[in-house]
Amino acid sequence: MEGWKSGEMNYYLIPGTGIYGGIKVAAGFAEALNRLGAPCCLATPDGTAPAWFQASVATVSHDTALASARVSDNILFSLPHDYPKLKGTAARLVFHCQGTDPLIDPILADPNVALLSCWPQATTYMRDKSGRNPIEVGLFISPCFFYDGAPKLHGTVAFMPRRGRDIAAACQAALPNLRFVPIEDATEADVARVMKSSEYYLATAVNEWFGLPAFEAMAAGCVVLSVPAIGGMDYLRNDSNALVVEPEQLPARLAWISADERHDIRARLRDHAVATAHLFRPAEFHRRLTTLLKSELSYLQT
Amino acid sequence: MKAFSLHAIIVSRGLAALLRECLGSLDRAMEPIRGRGWTTGVTVVDNASTPPLRGQLDDAPAHDILRFDTHHSFAAACNAAAQAHPADLYLFLNNDVLLHKLALHHMAKVFEADRRTAVCGTRMVFPDDTIQHAGVVFGPGEKGPYHDHRKEASLLVPRITRDCQAVTGACMLVEGDIFRRLNGFDEAFPFGLEDVDFCLRVRQAGHRIVCCQETDSLHFESMTPGRVELDIPSRRLFMERWKNRYTVDG
Repeated sequence: MEGWKSGEMNYYLIPGTGIYGGIKVAAGFAEALNRLGAPCCLATPDGTAPAWFQASVATVSHDTALASARVSDNILFSLPHDYPKLKGTAARLVFHCQGTDPLIDPILADPNVALLSCWPQATTYMRDKSGRNPIEVGLFISPCFFYDGAPKLHGTVAFMPRRGRDIAAACQAALPNLRFVPIEDATEADVARVMKSSEYYLATAVNEWFGLPAFEAMAAGCVVLSVPAIGGMDYLRNDSNALVVEPEQLPARLAWISADERHDIRARLRDHAVATAHLFRPAEFHRRLTTLLKSELSYLQT
Repeated sequence: MKAFSLHAIIVSRGLAALLRECLGSLDRAMEPIRGRGWTTGVTVVDNASTPPLRGQLDDAPAHDILRFDTHHSFAAACNAAAQAHPADLYLFLNNDVLLHKLALHHMAKVFEADRRTAVCGTRMVFPDDTIQHAGVVFGPGEKGPYHDHRKEASLLVPRITRDCQAVTGACMLVEGDIFRRLNGFDEAFPFGLEDVDFCLRVRQAGHRIVCCQETDSLHFESMTPGRVELDIPSRRLFMERWKNRYTVDG
């Protein structure tokens, strides 16, 4: 946003503190801003802080943030439902896009809202809809996921049943010789521990906006079988760093890849997956954001 | 580079001999920053000592004494002294801390380098060279705030100065304007955790808190009689106010 002056304070408004990827991505972005010299607080409905992942960002309530925000401040948000109430504030609005639901289109049409995207597909969507160039800030995987040599449990398949429970159940029924470990309502550290000890990860959420858990599993050294995601497809390469499979074919592909004689293919997939995950190292994210804060995103700096 | 005025505030209830050592180490630690043009002052808050401290510290480096005849909370004592001595920066220091001669030099550099810094702490060790303080982190649930790396050998803990959610008030350099704007320490705390409460409020206002790690100052910790009993209601108040309202980094 040309002509914008440096802000005093950034508030990242999130809709709650529950176990949803978007909450973690928002907190991670706020945390990174702080580390790089751009002050940022999370704002949650009642000021409660998310506690299921490691962070050190300060938290205030929505009311406090909205009452404190001045013309020179920035309010970041990623949920389109927050847009109407934010429109009336004095602060600059910054939309940090984490999903290309058409509900975001009115936001994209507002020339006073600065646009950030997290991945290439979102960048393209936002550019097409707004006629402006959003700043692609990217995403990162938390350090706890990167494989550290923890023993893998033979035949263990991790999955998140919240979305795609039936798909996982079909795999489970077809492959009783494998051990399926559901990851539900777990802290980030527990998710990482399960992934690091699992051989496979099933990403079963159809039409996931990005599908960060699949990339976390890649970092954790899993062979990833994923149904097609939306944003994640820029990074998921079938038969290279993952097996990208239609939901109904997942049991057969899991049976195929888990056969003893496929060990070399599994090793290749894992190696490429780990290499892909390294694109999302926090250090890479910080490097990119450092550059942006000196240029297009300088308005987030004090 | 701006030359700041720094005023050190030491609350003491008795312990004159230890306080004399503390003042000596503080004076040596102030030399490098006075050499850079900073002005310095020291106030000892005599928190109802029996006998009074006045007259017991005549051979200590220059200082004022602010005497309370009745016992005040740490927060109230610090706030009163700060109000009486306007300064760019306040150093809140416990009477059982012996500062490393370069501790303030490094802390001062943090303020000179980044105007977002509002609070700076420093690494402190027990007499056995294990960590007493290298920054405060927050655990989940009832665990709450605690000292990171406590009782680990200082030699084994990285020396990289880093941002923290909080630092201890046992040795805390604070930007004066921000201290005044946030109304100082909250006097509702009987003794303990007013420092962490203050730090959390500082970060909510968008400021940095840094803990310097270059030097090891000595902190005997909790030398004042009766102090531990006051910790319990302080902790209860802190958790009532802050539980689930800080992120977990420990």
